Amino acid sequence: MRPFIYERPTDVSAAVAIASRFTTEDDHPTRANAQFIAGGTNLADYMKLGVAAPNRLLDLNRLEEPALRQIRVTDDGVRFGALVRMGEAADHGEVKRRYPVIADSLRLAASGQIRNMASLAGNMLQRTRCEYFREPSWACNKRVPGSGCAAMEGFNRQHAVLGASDACIATYHGDFAQALIALDAVIRAEGSRGAREIPFARLHRLPRDTPHIETDLAADEIITAIEVPALPWARRSRYLKIRDRESYAFALASAAVALDLDGDSVREARIALGGLATVPWRAGEAEAALQGKKLDEASAGAAADAAFAGAEPRQHNAFKVELGKRTLVRALLETRDMKV
Amino acid sequence: MDPAAPKPKENMGEPLPRVDARLKVTGQAAYPADLPTANLAYGALATSSIAKGRVTKLHLDDARSVPGLLDIVTYGDMDKVEKPKFGNAGATSIGPLHDRTIFHDGQIIALAVAETFEAAEEAAQLIRADYEEEKPSASFDSPGTKTIPAAGKSPLFKEDVKAGDFDAAYAAAAVRIDARYSTPTQHHNPIELFSTTAFWQGDQLIVHEPSQNVTGWKAELARELKIDPPNVRIVSPFIGGAFGSKGPMTPRTAIVAVAAKRLGRPVRCVTSRMQAFGTQTYRAETRHRIRIGAGKDGRITAFAHEGWEVTSRPDPYVVGGTSATGRMYDYGSVLTHVSLVQADRNTPGYMRSPPETPYVYALENAMDEMAVALGMDPVEFRRINEPKAEPIGKKPFSSRSLIQCYEQAANAFGWAKRDPKVGAMRDGDWLIGMGCATAIYPTAVAPCAARVRLTSDGDVRVQCGSHEIGTGVRTVAAQMASERLGVPIDKVTVEMGDSSLPPAPVSGGSISTASVCSAVLKACDAIRAKLSAGATAEGGPLAGSHNEELDLDGGKIAARGGASAKIEDVFKAMQIGAIEEYAEFAPKGATPEAVKKLYAGQSEFHGGDQDEDSVKYAFGAEFVEVRINSYTREIRVPRIVGAFAAGRIMNTRTARSQLMGGMIWGIGQALHEATEVDRRYARYVNRDLQDYLVPVNADTRDLQVILVPEVDHAVNPAGVKGLGELGNVGTAAAVASAVYHATGKRIRDLPIRIDQLIA
Amino acid sequence: MSRISAPSTTGLSRRSFMTATVSAAAAAPLLSSPTRAEKPAATRSGLRETVAVSLRINKQPYELSLDARTSLLDALRDHVGLTGTKKGCDHGQCGACTVLVDGKRVLSCLSFAVMNDGKEVTTVEGLASSDGKLHPMQQAFIDHDAFQCGYCTPGQIMSAIGCVNEGHANSEDDIREYMSGNICRCAAYPNIVAAVVQARDQARGT
Repeated sequence: MRPFIYERPTDVSAAVAIASRFTTEDDHPTRANAQFIAGGTNLADYMKLGVAAPNRLLDLNRLEEPALRQIRVTDDGVRFGALVRMGEAADHGEVKRRYPVIADSLRLAASGQIRNMASLAGNMLQRTRCEYFREPSWACNKRVPGSGCAAMEGFNRQHAVLGASDACIATYHGDFAQALIALDAVIRAEGSRGAREIPFARLHRLPRDTPHIETDLAADEIITAIEVPALPWARRSRYLKIRDRESYAFALASAAVALDLDGDSVREARIALGGLATVPWRAGEAEAALQGKKLDEASAGAAADAAFAGAEPRQHNAFKVELGKRTLVRALLETRDMKV
Repeated sequence: MDPAAPKPKENMGEPLPRVDARLKVTGQAAYPADLPTANLAYGALATSSIAKGRVTKLHLDDARSVPGLLDIVTYGDMDKVEKPKFGNAGATSIGPLHDRTIFHDGQIIALAVAETFEAAEEAAQLIRADYEEEKPSASFDSPGTKTIPAAGKSPLFKEDVKAGDFDAAYAAAAVRIDARYSTPTQHHNPIELFSTTAFWQGDQLIVHEPSQNVTGWKAELARELKIDPPNVRIVSPFIGGAFGSKGPMTPRTAIVAVAAKRLGRPVRCVTSRMQAFGTQTYRAETRHRIRIGAGKDGRITAFAHEGWEVTSRPDPYVVGGTSATGRMYDYGSVLTHVSLVQADRNTPGYMRSPPETPYVYALENAMDEMAVALGMDPVEFRRINEPKAEPIGKKPFSSRSLIQCYEQAANAFGWAKRDPKVGAMRDGDWLIGMGCATAIYPTAVAPCAARVRLTSDGDVRVQCGSHEIGTGVRTVAAQMASERLGVPIDKVTVEMGDSSLPPAPVSGGSISTASVCSAVLKACDAIRAKLSAGATAEGGPLAGSHNEELDLDGGKIAARGGASAKIEDVFKAMQIGAIEEYAEFAPKGATPEAVKKLYAGQSEFHGGDQDEDSVKYAFGAEFVEVRINSYTREIRVPRIVGAFAAGRIMNTRTARSQLMGGMIWGIGQALHEATEVDRRYARYVNRDLQDYLVPVNADTRDLQVILVPEVDHAVNPAGVKGLGELGNVGTAAAVASAVYHATGKRIRDLPIRIDQLIA
Repeated sequence: MSRISAPSTTGLSRRSFMTATVSAAAAAPLLSSPTRAEKPAATRSGLRETVAVSLRINKQPYELSLDARTSLLDALRDHVGLTGTKKGCDHGQCGACTVLVDGKRVLSCLSFAVMNDGKEVTTVEGLASSDGKLHPMQQAFIDHDAFQCGYCTPGQIMSAIGCVNEGHANSEDDIREYMSGNICRCAAYPNIVAAVVQARDQARGT
C-alpha cells in the first residue's frame, strides 16, 4: 500500500473543502489523490491490493451532522443518512415493513461484520470485484485506462452479460443499488459546486470506452443522503439473490422487483437486475412488457425474455442469461404472492 | 445428548474435551506467527506475473527508496544455498531465486524486508520485473504439455494395479458403462496464513512456521542451508489448519532464513492469501475414464480406471488413487493406468485424501451410473459386490465394516423412504434428490518416538514431535497416557510441535493418532513395568504380588487380589522422584532402518495395501439429500448422514468432529471449490476467499455422524485407524448421485454448479 | 484442564509477555512504539508521519504511534501484542479478525487503526473475567467442540457474541446465516451453531 495523509474533517463542508483543494475538476473519485473513506470495507481492500492509491484519506466517520446517521421514515418516504450502516438499515422495523426490497437486499449482502462497518453510500459506490481488476498484474481498462481487458477472453464466469462494452465486462456486484433503482431513489450530494440531487438510476455510468469513470460524482462530492419515495409498489417488493453458496457470496444473478397490482394484473412494475450487468441495471423493457398484463408464469417469462434481449454472453458466463431470466421469473412470481 | 460428544460404544474412548480447548477459546494458543519475537523485521514477497520464461531485469530502485526498507533478497543471494528437493519433506525442486527461470505463475522473485509490515508490503509491491516471456501450457489439452506414465515416477506410486483379463470380461459383460469424469484444481486455504519467522542464535537457526512435519523440515532446511540438522529447530506449537498444505516445506523457508542471517535479526514473512496460491502446493486437476462391465445380476466382472493428473515440469507429483479404487469391490478383473501431464504450473502437493478424493469420486459416480443402468438400488449394488478379499493381491482386509456402515447410515437417513424414480421427489419449488457413496481411506502407521515422564505426585508429561493441526492428537495422546498410567487427564501435559522433541512422522496420511498413540503406549508400558517392579520388589508396598497382575488406576497400583498402594508410596520405596521412558515405536514389517530414518525426517509408512498379511483400510458410507430450485437451479445440501468404522476410536468427540469436517469438505468439493486457471496465461484467477468458495456456516444444516464399532488388532498396537481423511471421500459422488436423482442430469465434472444444471 | 506447553524459543516467554502487556495498562505496552509526549493534531498526519492513536482495548488504555496504514488488526497483533485476533485473509473475506468496536462486531483487517481513535475495542483476550472464569460463549465453544485447529475461533467467538447482542441468534437458521461471515475451514459449523444456542440461552436465563 502507498502511504497516505490521514485527515478527519468534522463537517461536510470541511470535508468538501479539503477534497476540492487536493483534487481537480477532471479527477474521478476512484482515481483522485484525495479520497473519502467511511466503512473502509471496499477502499481499504483495494488500497491493500494496490488497486486504489489515494495519498490523502478523508475519514468521514466523525462528520458531526446528525442527519448523516439517521433513518427517517415518513408517509412520503424514507431518508437514509449516508453514514447509516448497512446493518442498521436492514434491521430497521419500518424499512422492513414498508420497503422490504431494501431490507432484503442489505440482509443478503456481505456478512454481519461488514454490514456493521459499511455505510450505505459507500456500499452503493462499491467497485467491481472482477478478479482481473483486483490483481494489478492483469490488463484492465478500468484500473489502467487503455491497458486492455484480460477478462474479455479470460475466465469470465461471474462477468456481465448486460451493459458491457468492448473495454470492460466487469460486473457491478452490489445488492442495495438494485433495490434503490426499483424504488426510484434519489441521492443527495454536496460538493464544491454546491448541493444537488441525482436520480439513483443516473449515478452509475456504463463502461463504454471509459470504464474507469464509474459514477457521475465529482471527486470532491460527498453523498449525504438517500431518499426513497413511498410509491405504491414499495411494499410489494422483494430481492432475490442467487449464488453458488447459501450465504456470504456475490450474486450470480439477482432481481429487485416491486409491483403495484390491480388484482392479478400489473399496474406498475419496477425491476432491477444485479450480478448480471456492469452497473445496477434497470430492466425497463421487462417493466413495459408487464404493464397491464396478468402476472403469471407466461407473462413473467415474456418479461424476462425482454430483459435479456440484448444480452451478450461470453465463454464462461453464457449460463447467466438463462439464470438471469429464471431469477427474474421466480422473483416476479414470489413478489406477486407476497402477503402485503 | 450432546451430539458433539457421542456416547462411546464398543472399543471407543470417552468424548473428553480437547486438552488445548481453553487456550484456543481465550486466544492464548500461540500459532507460529503469534510467538513473541523481539526486534522483528517484516518480510513481504514479490512474485512473478508470468508462468513461463525468464526474468531479464528486476527494478528495485523504487522499493529501495521506501523508508524503513532493510534488505531485498533476490537472484544471486541464494547461490550459497542448496536448491530445494522435491520429495518427502520438500514441496518442489524449483529454487525460485536460484535461477531466473520462471516455472509457474506466482513464483517468488524477491523478498523485501523492512522495519514494519506496511513498509515491507509497499516495497514488495513496487518491485517490477522485465521478462522474456514464453507461451505457457496451462493444463490438460494445452499445447506443449507432455503426458507420461505415472508408474515408477514416484516412490509412492510404484505400479498400475491389475488383475485378470479386463478386455475379455468387459467385452463379455451384459451391461457396460464407459464414462469420463474430472475434478478441478483446488487449494487448501487453511484459515491460518502461511508464514515463516526465522532467527539465528549463533549457529542455531530457529524457525517458527506452521508445519505438519517439523522433523522432516529440520533435515531439509539443514540440507538446503548446509548446516548440521541439530542446529536447526522448527517450532510449530499450534497449526491453524493444514489439510496437507503444511506437509512439505516450501522454498520460502530458506529464503527467510537467509534474510534473517543477512540482517542479523529475526524476520517474519506472512504470505498473503493470494500469493499462497502460487507459492504453496495444491490439489491438481484430474481426469478419469472408467469402464465397468457387470452381469444382469449386478455382479461386476470388469473394472478399468484410467487417470490423468497435472503436475509441474520438473516434479513428478502423483497421487495415483487407482491403488484404492482397484481394491474397492469384488470386480473380477481390473485394469488401471495413471498418466502425468506436465504443465507450466507450480508443483502440486498433498491435499486431504490426495488420491481418494478425486479417484473415489470418479469410481463412486460410475458405481451409481452402473446401478442406474442395472435398475438396481445403489446400496444393494454395493452389497452384491462386497469382496471377501481385495481383487489385486487376493489379500484379506484386516477389517472391513462397509456393509454395517451402509446399513446404519441408510437407516438413520431414511433411505427406504426414497422414491427411486428420477425427479419424483419434490417440496414446492424445490426438487429433492437422494444419493449415497462409499468412503475409503488406507490405514497406515509409521515409526514414532515419544518421551513420557511420571512423577511421584502423579504428574505426567508427554513429549512427541507430532503436530496439532486440529485433529485432536494432543488430546488423544493425553488420553492414552492418562489411561495407561491411571492418572486423571488434567494431570497430563503434552508437548508437541517442536523438532527438538522426540521425532514423530509427518502428520499426513491420517497416521498421527495411530503412530503417536502406539509410541506413547509403549513408553507408558515401560513406566508401568518399572513401577510394577518397584511395587513388588522386596520392601515394596506390594511385595509378593506378581508383576503382570498389577493395574494402574486412580493414582494407585493394584494387585488382582485387592491389595493396592499409592503411586507415591511406590516411588518412595524405589527412592526416586520420577520415571521417564523414551520409546521408539516401529510398526510390524518396518525395515531395520525405519527408526533411523525417523530421526532423519523420513516417514516410513506401513499398512494400506503395502503389508504382506492383509490390506488395511477404513470405510464409511455417506448419504445426502440435495435440494435444487426448479427455477434457478441452485443446489443445497440440507441433510447428510455418514457412518464410519475406523477401529479403535480414541475420543468420540474429536473423531466425530473430524468426520463432520470432512463431510462438509466433501460438500465443498461437490459444489463450491475450484481454482480457475486462465488457460491463456497458465495463471490462477480466483486467488482469494472471495472467489475461491468454501462452505460457510449456512451451507450445512442437518449433519449426522455415526461411529460404527470395529475392532482391528492387526493395524497397529493402538488398534486405531486414521479418520481425518475418511470423511471427505465419497461425499462428492453422493452429491452427484443425488443431483442425478433429482434432475436426471449426470454431472461428471466437479464442482456441480448452476452452470451445468440450468441449460 | 491439562496444560500445554511448548518450550519458549526466545528470551521472552509467552506468559511473561502477556503479563507484561496486561500490567502495562497505562504505560506503553511492550511492543508498541514509544508513546508521544504531546498529542499531535488529531485530525491530520503528514505523509509517512506516524499518527497518534488512543484506544481502549479490553478496558485498558493504550496510546500508540502508528503508520497511518496500520490496520486495526496489525495494531492489535504487532503493536499491542494481542495476538489472539487472527489474520486469515487480510481482505475481509474470512472473519478471523473479528473484534468488537464500541460493542459491534467488525473486521479489524479492513479498518485502519487510526479510524478507531478513541474507541473501545474488545478482543478475545478481554472476554474471560480476571479470576479466569470464561465468558459463556467461550465455555459453550468448549462444550460443543466448536473448533478443531482453533485458528478461526477467536473471530468466531467475537462474532457470535456480536450476533447474539444484535438479536440475530433467535433461531438456528438465523445463527447459520448471521455467522456465515466467519469461515471455519475445519468446518465445525454445526458445533458452532450449538455453542451459540447454548450461550444465547444462558444469556437469556433460559
